[in-house]
Amino acid sequence: MKKRLALILPAALLLSAFVIAGSGRSINNEIPAPPAIGALVGDFMLPDVDGTNRTLASLKGKNGTVILFIAVQCPVSNAYNERMEQLAQDFKAKGINVIGINSNVTDDAGAVKAHAVEHKFSFVVLKDPGNKVADSLGAKVTPEAYLLDANNKLVYHGRIDNSKDPAGVNSSELRDAMNLVLAGKPVEKTGAASFGCTIKRG
Amino acid sequence: MRPTRALLVSSVGLSILLSSFAAPAQKKSRPAKSKPAVHLPVVKEIKTDDLVALFKRQSDKPLLINFWATWCDPCREEFPDLVKVDADYRKRGLDFYTVSLDEFTDIKTEVPKFLQSMKATMPAFLLNESDPDPLIKAVDPRWQGDLPATILYTTNGQIEFKHFGRVNTAELRLKIEEVLGARNKVIGARN
Repeated sequence: MKKRLALILPAALLLSAFVIAGSGRSINNEIPAPPAIGALVGDFMLPDVDGTNRTLASLKGKNGTVILFIAVQCPVSNAYNERMEQLAQDFKAKGINVIGINSNVTDDAGAVKAHAVEHKFSFVVLKDPGNKVADSLGAKVTPEAYLLDANNKLVYHGRIDNSKDPAGVNSSELRDAMNLVLAGKPVEKTGAASFGCTIKRG
Repeated sequence: MRPTRALLVSSVGLSILLSSFAAPAQKKSRPAKSKPAVHLPVVKEIKTDDLVALFKRQSDKPLLINFWATWCDPCREEFPDLVKVDADYRKRGLDFYTVSLDEFTDIKTEVPKFLQSMKATMPAFLLNESDPDPLIKAVDPRWQGDLPATILYTTNGQIEFKHFGRVNTAELRLKIEEVLGARNKVIGARN
């Protein structure tokens, strides 16, 4: 009896710890902090829109990688569809690859695929079930960009540019940072926040 | 006989043509008489500097600011609760403003329409800036621009409570009670 209790008690404590941790985030909306600028981003594996597992290591560009958190229904993210595709096209030949990630629990894989087809994305879009990668990178909104250099070191985190409306753009932080990476120069503006839709976590 | 008939036909045709132009005007004027014009709530334009001055002000009243947008699902979901908060606490000395981050072109359309549908009583602003980053940094350097965002300031302009994402109204109400209690103590001590 004592033996059984000794086994059950730690298991119950462990389970309650998971429940508390899980409910804590949903109640208090606490999202892990993003990695610091200069930190290495570890490899991850997620399914693409066809269900094939892909890794960061296999998708990264020779000179750098942009990870974009995007959404199917968010008007802010959708306002950037053409600009995201343009970035992918402009930099692919230069060795910086763009990867889209959809972490919204409200966007299923079918909707993510249809959205990518509709907007003719040439870059790979991954589905992030359980928002594991969004959590590991501390992503909160869509669109939200992470630029990694050739060694997967985070060099920029934040908005694509300053304006949802393309006519109001006068500051293109992500594109500027990508050009600096290609030129082998340090990125001076390593972050800029922007309003976007909250990632709907599961 | 023929010219007379032709004249008759053409005059009838002309009158039909004229009445077809006149008809829409009559149709438009009728509902205006029977139905009073709907007045949408006024949403004022605000710049970052004015907003920063507002939340850093010294006042007898604590200040609650909610940043939101019509395209933001959790913003729309929490709005009815915030309208109740305003109804309960404005009369007890809380200043509550909402700041929309919608496009400036929505200032007379989508934003006031939503506020009207919510029966919102809080004074409403819309941020008119092409670059929201300075405001985000001024509010809280750790804020990444996720909406909604709800910030409660004390009478001294200090942040007492902040929440990014859908707010827990019970928690917010507790904090409002605390700052109102502290404020009333100060006022009581003065008198």
